[in-house]
Amino acid sequence: MKILFQLGWRNLWRNKRRSLVVISSIAIGIFAMILSMGIMNGMNNQMVENTIKTSLGHIAIHRKGFQDDMKLTYHFTPNRRMIEVIEKDPRILAHAPRIKLQGMVRSSESSRGVMIVGIDPEKEKSVSNLFEYTLKDDGRFLERGDENAIMISQTTADKLNLIVGDKLVVMFQDREDEIVGIGLEIVGLFQSPIESFDKYVVFTTIRTLKETTGLNENISEITLVLKDKDRVDGVKGALREEINDGNLEILSWKDMAPNLVSAVRLFDTMMYFFFIIVFITVIFSVANTLVMAIMERFHEIGVMKCIGTRPSWIFNIVLFEALNLGFVGLFAGIIIGVPVNELLGFTGIDLSFYAESMRMFGTGSVIYPSIKPLDIIVATGIVLATTIIAAIYPAIKAARIKPLEALHYV
Amino acid sequence: MNIISLQNLTKNYDSDDIVVHAIRGIDLNVKQGEFTAIAGPSGSGKTTLLNLIGGLDSPTSGTIAVAGETIDAFSPKELSDLRLRKIGFIFQAYNLIPVLSALENVEYVALLQGIEKAERTERAVQILKDVGLGDMLHRLPNELSGGQQQRVAVARAIVTEPELILADEPTANLDQATGASLLDIMHDMNRSKKITFLFSTHDPMVMERAERLVNLRDGKIVSDKQKRKTKSQPKKSTRKRTSS
Repeated sequence: MKILFQLGWRNLWRNKRRSLVVISSIAIGIFAMILSMGIMNGMNNQMVENTIKTSLGHIAIHRKGFQDDMKLTYHFTPNRRMIEVIEKDPRILAHAPRIKLQGMVRSSESSRGVMIVGIDPEKEKSVSNLFEYTLKDDGRFLERGDENAIMISQTTADKLNLIVGDKLVVMFQDREDEIVGIGLEIVGLFQSPIESFDKYVVFTTIRTLKETTGLNENISEITLVLKDKDRVDGVKGALREEINDGNLEILSWKDMAPNLVSAVRLFDTMMYFFFIIVFITVIFSVANTLVMAIMERFHEIGVMKCIGTRPSWIFNIVLFEALNLGFVGLFAGIIIGVPVNELLGFTGIDLSFYAESMRMFGTGSVIYPSIKPLDIIVATGIVLATTIIAAIYPAIKAARIKPLEALHYV
Repeated sequence: MNIISLQNLTKNYDSDDIVVHAIRGIDLNVKQGEFTAIAGPSGSGKTTLLNLIGGLDSPTSGTIAVAGETIDAFSPKELSDLRLRKIGFIFQAYNLIPVLSALENVEYVALLQGIEKAERTERAVQILKDVGLGDMLHRLPNELSGGQQQRVAVARAIVTEPELILADEPTANLDQATGASLLDIMHDMNRSKKITFLFSTHDPMVMERAERLVNLRDGKIVSDKQKRKTKSQPKKSTRKRTSS
């Protein structure tokens, strides 16, 4: 086998220019693939991270049924044991209580349906990026002592023609299903990377909502943030065992945003299909090169068969030549593509000229490409498959050369 | 014992309604250890005869026996195995594998036969020394002269000690001195290792050195002369010849 590999390798460099052209095409294809994967991974990661950091957290604890129907009736009282278990788990970074209910905000000009979220402003800073999203040049973030204060998004403010300092009416159904309307003063505006979040969520203090809804010490949700996102399933399982008395639902961000998970998988799958199509063109390039190489060595292959080389060996020599082409191209593509990705992962790719479109996807306007080891494995697999498929016809052609015919070939 | 036995061997080529009778009913026996030349003008059928004996072509009719095996009905795989195990080839155009060094070219045939690395390297090195190329083991064919390349080809043909070597005009591309030197080497191998040599040639020097001369004309044997066994030429130093 070693000699076949050696022959395949050395034959590759008999026509350096031609081989370098094919290797370059493979390398460019791999580089483009790695960069595209990096950007797609970056966008996916940011989509997920932004979703987690705007609203979901890594894990949420609710009353059973709340996730499907976010009504005030699905409330619960966080007991001491629950808090102790949460605070003792070293994997959990922070937790915060929330009240969530559906309602409406109304100004003198317009109104819209929203999700009203009551937060503990201090604890909220540890579980979400809402503080970072607050527009500091106009207004401020909520404070624990605030009474009748609200934060809305810049988008909502524009829609309702409101500014910081204005008052608006927030309407909802309380615990008794009575329609309640309260006047709140806008103390601050925020703008998150996710357009849909901005359109439909407003924030007030949890104290304000407890008082106006009649929930008292009850809440809708405890939001948890972990030190390592990848441990979410383990922590969820542990919490379910320790604190779930059958009345709670303990959900990960994947459970709460299945559409996001599906979207990420869909983008990945689409990317792989795209690459397969691109590499089909590479197949023809490699196959063409090999056929030319075989025609040039027609006589030589005949001599090899004369002295006893089996057709299977001839087949393998051509196959190894193709594999060598592919792997040199792969290597070149990786040694350029990975550092470029790492650099861009550090500096980011500024797509702020597409800011509004990026907010639709929830990625933010600066993308930080990142590649996973699986991406390199996929690239290797695609190159392997490409070169083997490309080599089959030329290798069969070479293996079937008749020695006598080839000896007379000039 | 006959290493080659041909009985009423015929080979015709059909092409566009024209039939070419390349070999017409040849009977020929070659004993083991012979140093035989098949001579004749161009188109007499020398190369065709060698191709048939070497299993590179199949006869139209008649039988061919090589090293005790009747091969006229062999499958391509069986013929390939025959060529690997029992027959060595030396071509007019050397036909070395260009990307392998002299040593690797010689080792290659041994590798095909499954001989272990240490043994095949040892054999190849020794054979190359025997043909006067001991200091050129790692040169590529394009770094060797014509004569040196043909010596590598001889070494390659001999390394696995086949029973029969078929040499198709081996001196045609060489100058007289180099050709003579090469013949010395092949004659030595014939004597020392009892390898049968069958040449196709129209080189008078080869015809002179052959111990048996078979003349072909128009696909038929017109004469078959057994000459006196020639004494082997005194062994000359090959050092000067390596610079040819």
